[in-house]
Amino acid sequence: MEEELFTSGRSIPNIDPSLQIWHWPISVYLFLGGLAAGLLFFAALFTIIKKEKETPTTVKYAAIIAPIALILGLLALFYDLTHKIYFWRLYTTVRIESPMSWGAWVLLIITPLSILWVFSYSNEIFPKWNLKFGFLKTFQKFLAKNRMNMAYALIPLSVVLGIYTGILLSAFNARPLWNNAILGPLFLTSGLSTAAATIILVSKNHFERKLFSKIDLGLIIIELALIVHMIMGYWAGSEVQLEAMQLLINGEFTVMFFVFVIILGLIFPALLEIIELKGYKVPAVVPALLVLLGGLIFRFVMVEAGQITRYLY
Amino acid sequence: MKTSKKNRHVYWNPYFGGFLLGLLIIFTFYMTGRGLGASGVMKSGVVTMVDQVSHEHTLHNAYYSKFVSGDKSPMNNWLVFETLGVLAGAFLSGSLAGRIGFRVQHSPKITVNRRLVFALLGGILFGLGAQIARGCTSGAALSGMAVLSTGGFITMLSIFGTAFLFAYFFRKNWI
Repeated sequence: MEEELFTSGRSIPNIDPSLQIWHWPISVYLFLGGLAAGLLFFAALFTIIKKEKETPTTVKYAAIIAPIALILGLLALFYDLTHKIYFWRLYTTVRIESPMSWGAWVLLIITPLSILWVFSYSNEIFPKWNLKFGFLKTFQKFLAKNRMNMAYALIPLSVVLGIYTGILLSAFNARPLWNNAILGPLFLTSGLSTAAATIILVSKNHFERKLFSKIDLGLIIIELALIVHMIMGYWAGSEVQLEAMQLLINGEFTVMFFVFVIILGLIFPALLEIIELKGYKVPAVVPALLVLLGGLIFRFVMVEAGQITRYLY
Repeated sequence: MKTSKKNRHVYWNPYFGGFLLGLLIIFTFYMTGRGLGASGVMKSGVVTMVDQVSHEHTLHNAYYSKFVSGDKSPMNNWLVFETLGVLAGAFLSGSLAGRIGFRVQHSPKITVNRRLVFALLGGILFGLGAQIARGCTSGAALSGMAVLSTGGFITMLSIFGTAFLFAYFFRKNWI
């Protein structure tokens, strides 16, 4: 590793006055991590309340996306690392006060668990597959029997994963846009909402689509409320927070934030879901895709804008 | 489903629609200080694409160079966002009227292909005309007439006047 010595906290390349080290893979990873957390949360929840029969997509088919999203997200994260061969050092310690440590450990457990979850359903998802080895069949039966236990483990793990994607940013106390307590719940809600949209996209079951339209609508309303609270938090803050807020409400990211995240990513899909629930025919693909796109752009806006914000000296 | 098959072709009264459009234009002038438009978005899109392929070419082209300035993208234009709104609103209104679906509306006497080819030809002519007239029905005629611009009145008369004259030759495509 190349040694870097800093004798002052000022004018550090890529760190001060603005951070320039987190690029697109981080936004993509935060989006995919939140999406996977949401998908696993819903799969586990509907297993625990014993509604698997009514929601086959949630527990089986959409759940396939979770491990794929996690693996792609982790690849993106790994790609963004500067010192790739040192990543294992995260696993030499447990730090209760570090979101990155929480995330690293949760990912280490939830990624294999999501693969096992899909594997436990493999004979139903791919009925034509014939497992060649006897021990695989035995293992699958064992997993299917313990599905409820996996679900109980997945609920807290997915919630931690969803919140971690937000507090990974909010733990930066030198970046006023990120440094607020609402980012964790906000990213969790957004992740759950994108997961509900994915289930609507994949599902062919009318009952399930309607159920997740309702869930998604509720989540969008919560998300809008959390965004309002986030902005009010900046508003009531000190000069640094006020300056950070300007990026979102009257600056470089205003168009992206208001047009693509708030209007086209939240309010408009919510409106379409309301009229769909009222009985009008709306192609469900449109609100679902808008929610997914809005969620992705939201991560990009927060990661990019947050790095620019700084403390004033 | 509240919407039934029979109201798939029920539209609002065109005069009432026109009245609402007039109110909208007052609101647009009040909010943005300028009129609205439609063809400008297509132009911004084309300029952006050409600019992406060759920035040099756009700078030296007499027409394109007028729409690129410094580091600002030609897509950062209020007409682009107005059009996003138009698409969203149209989708909402289409959902409420139960008219969303893929289909080609045409006279029973012509084929789908004929309808599409004529739509393409007409669209090309209209696009060319809109650039020569510096605006289309919305940008030049509607917004122009709202501020009593002579060009707006002439554009409006020419669009509908020539359409009236040429309708005789192409009427078989419709009736």
